[in-house]
Amino acid sequence: MADTTHHSLGAQTERTAAGADKPHSAGEANTTVRYRGGGFRTHSIFWVGPVVFVVLIAVWEWGTQTGFISNLTLPKPSDVLGTFGELWRTGTLFEHLIPSLTRFAVGSAMGCLAGVIIGVMIGLFSHVRAGLVPVVAAIFPIPKIALLPLFIIWFGIGEGSKYALIALGTFTPMVVATYGAVDNVDRTLIRMGQSFSLSWASIVRKIVLPGAMPGIFSGLRVSLAIGIILLVAAEMLGARRGIGAYILEAGSLYDLERLFAGVIILSALGVVVNFVLGLIEDRVLRWRS
Amino acid sequence: MDLRVDALSHRYGNLEVLSDISLDIPAGQVVSIIGPSGCGKSTLLRFIGGLERPSEGQIIQRGQPPEGSLNPLTYVFQDFALLPWRTVAGNIALVLEDHGLGSARQDEIITNVLARTKLSEFRDALPKQLSGGMKQRVAIARALAVNPAVMLMDEPLSALDSQTRELLMDDLIDLWARERFTAVYVTHNLAEAVRLGHQIVVLSRRPGKIREIITIETPLDARRRSDPELASIEERLWSVMRDEAQAADLELVDG
Ligand SMILES: Nc1ncnc2c1ncn2[C@@H]1O[C@H](COP(=O)(O)OP(=O)(O)OP(=O)(O)O)[C@@H](O)[C@H]1O
Ligand SMILES: [Mg+2]
Repeated sequence: MADTTHHSLGAQTERTAAGADKPHSAGEANTTVRYRGGGFRTHSIFWVGPVVFVVLIAVWEWGTQTGFISNLTLPKPSDVLGTFGELWRTGTLFEHLIPSLTRFAVGSAMGCLAGVIIGVMIGLFSHVRAGLVPVVAAIFPIPKIALLPLFIIWFGIGEGSKYALIALGTFTPMVVATYGAVDNVDRTLIRMGQSFSLSWASIVRKIVLPGAMPGIFSGLRVSLAIGIILLVAAEMLGARRGIGAYILEAGSLYDLERLFAGVIILSALGVVVNFVLGLIEDRVLRWRS
Repeated sequence: MDLRVDALSHRYGNLEVLSDISLDIPAGQVVSIIGPSGCGKSTLLRFIGGLERPSEGQIIQRGQPPEGSLNPLTYVFQDFALLPWRTVAGNIALVLEDHGLGSARQDEIITNVLARTKLSEFRDALPKQLSGGMKQRVAIARALAVNPAVMLMDEPLSALDSQTRELLMDDLIDLWARERFTAVYVTHNLAEAVRLGHQIVVLSRRPGKIREIITIETPLDARRRSDPELASIEERLWSVMRDEAQAADLELVDG
């Protein structure tokens, strides 16, 4: 190895060639340097997730079939699947799913949009920040479900109170995430914008907002998950249709198959929301290295 | 358009950063500013470009910027400051969009500056796809796009490896030979200061005062890296700077 790298330097070649066999002559064994740079970095392995799911469900099915797991504690996965089939055939699925999705979409769209707008204002204007950050800090830790009776008085027992609950629940984390994201926009980029005499509006629209996008997206993930939780809570406390109402009814009848079917719909909703968000994020944040 | 720094002093709180700086920046010349770390070079440059206000003194502009100059005082930053979400062309468009030039004219300017900085093929690349040297060329193209009267360059080559730095330095000298731009060039690197400066301003350690101004008559494009005259100037600059740098190095950062 040593003499190939030095092949052009005549005098040196001889010296290294002469010295090259020294390490071997002492009778020491050659060992490769131990690799120790692994770990601390995750990469996506697409098949592990599905396999874990399948194994869990298989064990569960086996346990309930053999009676190892009493069917008072857990329903059979195959029965839950049957319930799904029934839900689908009778059209009950959509009877509950459509109102739920509408509430979730309307409520979280209002909450997230308002959250982003207020968050950006807090990020940009010192007065707004001084005025609103304490307010947001005061609202954030309130369990929003506790406010549902109040919203029912304000907005009625119908859809209004549910929209309000979901909107408020998604609003606060969105505000906090957004102004954090605006604060984190690279100051040197803003300074660059100023140094080229860009207008204030241009700097906000072309530098601050795109720069805050990664933070806004992580805020969205959190907010939408909270939105699903609040959706169910609202439907449990005052609705005849919706996944939450369906689960509540199944629960009060101890109908475990239907309870599980409802829970699985919710968790699927979470997965789908995350997946769609991931797709949008990949497109919008393609510039990230 | 000439610039004059007139009796400029500045303090941040109790920290005196610059003290009584007066300096001429004549049109068509490159003024190199060197000085030990923390002596206020970047601060001085921010004053010259109007990004910050000095506690005392002022920056005087003599004459009008050339016709069609969109942004007379234009920076080139050490860390490039490119928007990662815009392509090369988009980053240049950014500084033109506010001027309402119309898309045809804007396109023409972008094509022109990309050709001048040898970047035409990379028009649609994102910054993350470019090497450091290319990113800085994009930043220089962006500066040229607004047709500046004075370019303010804060260690534009420091973030680059030494080979890339040499190449880009040659590019800058070529560019100057063609366009005779005016520039203030802040650097740590004595060789850069000597290769590129018509005047070399040496600042003392903080508070930065002018220690010495050296004028080099040899035209930029006639300077060779091995030129003994330049080497002796560099030697002399180092002897002026050595003590300052040593003392600055021993100071507590927020002392
Ligand atoms: N905005 C600020 N507020 C307070 N102090 C500052 C500010 N900007 C710079 N300083 C201080 O002023 C001094 C000069 O800073 P400056 O960045 O101008 O130095 P410099 O000569 O460019 O240094 P370097 O060679 O490391 O780039 C430093 O001590 C720095 O800590
Ligand atoms: Mg500096």
